[in-house]
Amino acid sequence: MAKRTLVATFGFDERRVLPALRLLAYDDLVLLAGRDSLRAGGYGRLKALEPSLRAVLVDPFDFSDCYRKAASTLSNLARGVRAVRLSVTGGTKILSAAALLAAFQEGVEAWFCAPDPIRLPVLRGVRVVDGIPPSAVRVADALRGSMPADRLLASAADQGLTAREARAALGQLVARGLAEERLDAGRLVVRPTPALEALRAHLPASARKG
Amino acid sequence: MTVLFGTLGWRPQSLIPSIRSTEGLERVVVYHSDHAKSREARSKVVEFCRSLGVVATPVELSDAYDLMHIATRIREDVQREKATAGSVRFNIAGGTRLMSSAALLVCVLEGIPATYVHDETFVEIPLPLLRMTYGDHLTAKQREVLGFLVKNRDRAYTETGLAKALGVHKATMNHHLRELGSKGAIERVRDPDDARALRIRAAPGMELLVG
Repeated sequence: MAKRTLVATFGFDERRVLPALRLLAYDDLVLLAGRDSLRAGGYGRLKALEPSLRAVLVDPFDFSDCYRKAASTLSNLARGVRAVRLSVTGGTKILSAAALLAAFQEGVEAWFCAPDPIRLPVLRGVRVVDGIPPSAVRVADALRGSMPADRLLASAADQGLTAREARAALGQLVARGLAEERLDAGRLVVRPTPALEALRAHLPASARKG
Repeated sequence: MTVLFGTLGWRPQSLIPSIRSTEGLERVVVYHSDHAKSREARSKVVEFCRSLGVVATPVELSDAYDLMHIATRIREDVQREKATAGSVRFNIAGGTRLMSSAALLVCVLEGIPATYVHDETFVEIPLPLLRMTYGDHLTAKQREVLGFLVKNRDRAYTETGLAKALGVHKATMNHHLRELGSKGAIERVRDPDDARALRIRAAPGMELLVG
């Protein structure tokens, strides 16, 4: 049986995490927490209960940092064929929301235990980016910074897409909020949105083969 | 035209940057709690909207700590607006942790753009969300099976019973259930009256997925 890892967002009060420890069975515990949290009494008491617990440091007031670290923690654990679950009950509201978003991104089961357990409707193993078609991933790969659409489409053609496929793929990126188009001196210019930049590292590698 | 949704706590500053930054803003829907400070913040947001000539619709939540209730309410409103408005966006920065998370949940499920406003700089941060309905990760048939199980939570179905109820072959139902099971969307539990039988039920929380 695969080892079960529980990842929990943590602030200062260990009592926000204890219901998850009681309700969700686990073998290993990983906390997502700010630097100050690790100096607090709550962390010491939790460490006394679970000496092997590991902490991943985040800036609990910076959404992007929380999201990036939560997503990479969940992704690395899930890649190790571990049964991973996330509790988003502790820590700042920002950390909690960012970790929740990362759970959807990585297809990791997520729970609120405050104190009754509420399971959030994440589909296990389904990564949000898996819904992006392979041709759109290839066009996203070619889209770096602001560039004329015809140059982007030519780059996509170099990667084996026909002009028609590349245009359709670009349309899909725009429809999913990953690319923006605008007219600049009569020329169509395309650029990646912040969402694409945040998700770029998570785009399915399998789409790039062939 | 755009409808902006927002959760609001005690600080109108968490929502006002999004009101300023939304192009073609037609209406603002604000969710707040019944706390006096939250009502005060709501009044300030409504006043700000009025000064811009934008309609504000405040929604007072009876329980700002009931995640599922809040998410269900917000989702209904968002779905209604999505069907009629040009575009919809969400600011999830304000309100209780559960209000904010419920709003984020709806944004993921409905694939609508969402932003967060930094607590100190008041800079809007766009969240990395896809404009894609999350339920589309299930096939139409999987959604139908899951929807049926959610709707009939009070009844216990065996795989065969479920196949019969939905008019599909047993083997086809087995395939759908294996797919749903691998995604954690359903659970198989022992029948208390028949130790050999397994009953199928929707996993907790799936109401929102097929709602």
